[in-house]
Amino acid sequence: MKSEPKQAGLRDARTGSRAGLRAGLRAGLRAGLRAGLREFLLHYPAVFTLLLIILVSAVVGTINPNFWQLSTLFDMLRSSVVTGLFALGVLIVLAAGGLDVSFTAIAAFTMYAITVAVLKHAPNLSIGVIMLCGAVGGTLFGAVNGLLVHTLRAPSLIVTIGTQYVLRSLLLTFVGTALIINVPAAMESFGTLALWTYLPASGGRAILPAFVLVLVVAAGVTWWLLNRTLMGRAVFAIGGNLAVAERLGYNPRVVQVFVFAYAGLLAGIGGIVHVSSNRLANPFDLTGTELDVIAAVILGGARITGGSGTVLGTLLGVVLVTLVNNVLILAGVPSTWQKVIVGAFIILAGSMFAVRTAR
Amino acid sequence: MSTFDTARAVAPEEADARRAEKQFLEVRDIHKRFAGVHALRGVSLSIERGQIYHLIGENGCGKSTLIKIISGAQPPDSGQLIIEGQAYSALSPIQALKAGIETVYQDLSLLPNLSVAENIALTQQLVESGGHLARRLDRRKLEATATRALAAVGLPGEARFMHQRVDELPIAMRQLVSIARSIATEAKMVIMDEPTTSLTKREVANLISVVDKLRAHDVAVLFVTHKLDECKAIGGRVVIFRDGQKVLEGDTQDYSKAELSYWMTGRHLDETRYRNEQPQDAALLAVRHLSRAGAFADVSFSLCRGEIVGITGLLDSGRNELALALAGVAPADGGSVELAGRQVALTRPADAIAAGIGYLPEDRLSEGLFLEKSIQANITAAVLNRLRGRFGTIDAERAAAMADRFVADLQVATPGTALPVQSLSGGNQQRVLLGRWLAIDPQLLILHGPTVGVDVGSKDTIYRIIQRLTGQGIGVVIISDDLPELLQNCDRILVMHKGRLSDDFVAAGLDENVLYEALAAEAGGDVKTAEAAA
Repeated sequence: MKSEPKQAGLRDARTGSRAGLRAGLRAGLRAGLRAGLREFLLHYPAVFTLLLIILVSAVVGTINPNFWQLSTLFDMLRSSVVTGLFALGVLIVLAAGGLDVSFTAIAAFTMYAITVAVLKHAPNLSIGVIMLCGAVGGTLFGAVNGLLVHTLRAPSLIVTIGTQYVLRSLLLTFVGTALIINVPAAMESFGTLALWTYLPASGGRAILPAFVLVLVVAAGVTWWLLNRTLMGRAVFAIGGNLAVAERLGYNPRVVQVFVFAYAGLLAGIGGIVHVSSNRLANPFDLTGTELDVIAAVILGGARITGGSGTVLGTLLGVVLVTLVNNVLILAGVPSTWQKVIVGAFIILAGSMFAVRTAR
Repeated sequence: MSTFDTARAVAPEEADARRAEKQFLEVRDIHKRFAGVHALRGVSLSIERGQIYHLIGENGCGKSTLIKIISGAQPPDSGQLIIEGQAYSALSPIQALKAGIETVYQDLSLLPNLSVAENIALTQQLVESGGHLARRLDRRKLEATATRALAAVGLPGEARFMHQRVDELPIAMRQLVSIARSIATEAKMVIMDEPTTSLTKREVANLISVVDKLRAHDVAVLFVTHKLDECKAIGGRVVIFRDGQKVLEGDTQDYSKAELSYWMTGRHLDETRYRNEQPQDAALLAVRHLSRAGAFADVSFSLCRGEIVGITGLLDSGRNELALALAGVAPADGGSVELAGRQVALTRPADAIAAGIGYLPEDRLSEGLFLEKSIQANITAAVLNRLRGRFGTIDAERAAAMADRFVADLQVATPGTALPVQSLSGGNQQRVLLGRWLAIDPQLLILHGPTVGVDVGSKDTIYRIIQRLTGQGIGVVIISDDLPELLQNCDRILVMHKGRLSDDFVAAGLDENVLYEALAAEAGGDVKTAEAAA
């Protein structure tokens, strides 16, 4: 039996044997620490994500010291922004007990349609107005998701798979299929605007793009919404138990429309940032990246069953996924292997958090 | 909607005479139908401030439906609700809360992923905003309200407890949290739907002191309950429902327990011992030095064929864990179990089932039944391999025959076995679950709280079934904190304390107070000395 040594220790302790007492204490302490660490990680899943980030960085950095450069960090941040915006949307929908997979289609539709429209009708439109258009468009699409989910009482995963297909098809049929290389001037300059440029003595340069601020603001607003407003608490209430929340006076329709509209808003903005940073608009872009984003949110400690998750954890999850997708190449790991690592991490995180010990 | 068939239990003039300023809520001629079932047939009721009401009746009598209508969870088909002179044809949850009607639901209606403080005090801010969510969360107020409410129900108010997630709390504490929520705001009426189900006697006493405080503040309290003892002990008005109608309203002190249960069921029930069989002389179960770290230690007892052994103890006594160990759900880590002369290793539920041990869990809704599945699927769930036909598919005819047999045998009231289990009342659900374990041809049944949330009439039926089973040589272990239940049904009663067996009583002729003393005395003064010795 597993607890044999500990029991033996206790028995000896009772008869007064010093060595036995020490053995018993040591076994007890070990068990306590193990349980304590598990409890701790269950309460603060973000710490687990952080540990994985440190682990990956340490391994890559040891194999290839070139990793330790400011430009690596800036590149990471640059590639995190769009995923991060999407992830915050997924987080808030998950917190309310739903799952959204249509955000990439919403982002693709709004970014491409707006790029086409701006080029055609108002090529000199400022980035602020373009961003606003993306936000409004995304919000409208998201609200439709929310209304469908609420009125049909259908699982949101199914509904958003449906709207994703519809949106993609509408985009390619009515808006266009051509790659646009000359994006509007405002988007081009927004994408290249540097918040800070670092010129190391060794040559080369590291640029921190200004659009990183979009993610910073979005994360701040999302955090505030979730933790400092009644709406935020209602989101978690609905995600915890819809029937109970309804009985307690929370209006599920308002909450569901809100979370999907908010996820749509972030997707719309994410789309604009995507075009700006790539300086091209491709209607086929972003397809198939849904799982990467959901993986990031799950790795950030949110449970797929809903009702949990934090903004900080989600951002760490995004960093972890971006890290694995971008820097493993520095360690000589072929890019085809990246998904193996992400997959293994997800299984690891899932087994850590999903299985709660029976009371 | 027709109201011709209503029989008003209280004459209108009489009600008028009582309607002074004391009246808070009047329910007038409420009807409600669900898919052909006439759940409420013209119910009228008047609730006065500072008065305690006990709404009792069998499962399915309509009392839960009335609660849902008063708390705004469901609209009535016809009739009126009059709150402080204002008439409503239906209430929304927010309207009910705003009017000061707070409800402690039987399922507690807590949000598992939110903190204790949020569960208690968020509603206050939601009601103040009229249900609008575009508001800032006032965290200081949240904590102040929660602290006040926690103190009122006797729970700790320190930050660490307040920020704990509710799903990490033990059930009894969750119940208190739910009660704390109902009194966190200026409630004028508190409805408690079977609030004492998972509480021990001491916690019930605590709850009663909370109720006394509420009454002193002129709050009306409406208990929905099965427990006639508590109804008599707490006092106040009693309202009895049967078949969707009010059949009795009066002072609790004017009626004996036997009279109350007669009004509930419409028949006279035996209050005496059910035990009518003699255990056989053949040993069936021998538990030797069974231990599980942190739960129980060195538990030894034996049981003969056809014998009923009761096990009781306080919540932390290890009785629940012992039940789970015998069922293979949470295995023991030391000691042995011998069944019919053979040593059995119970490391998973399948081991227990293979050995012929059936386990009726404490919470049939979340641990026992597949609520949305049919009665047949629930009864046959543990014996599917025996119902295998050709090509490995389930033989539908045999499965249906098996379900029919147990439904008839256990007197489950249902029009057919294809209906989902959730369409049944609590007592009938419990019998379906019992049927599942009888289907495995058990040698031993472990019944964990077999009549929790089951009404008097159904209890009677379940007890008779248990007695009959022992006549077939099945051994039964009943784990329960319902002491009359143990006294009425068992041959022997074991008491657990701090993970160890402390007493072994012969049930026949045992006084309930003696048994309770054995449970509670140890919880008091003896604890410290026991800890010091350890």
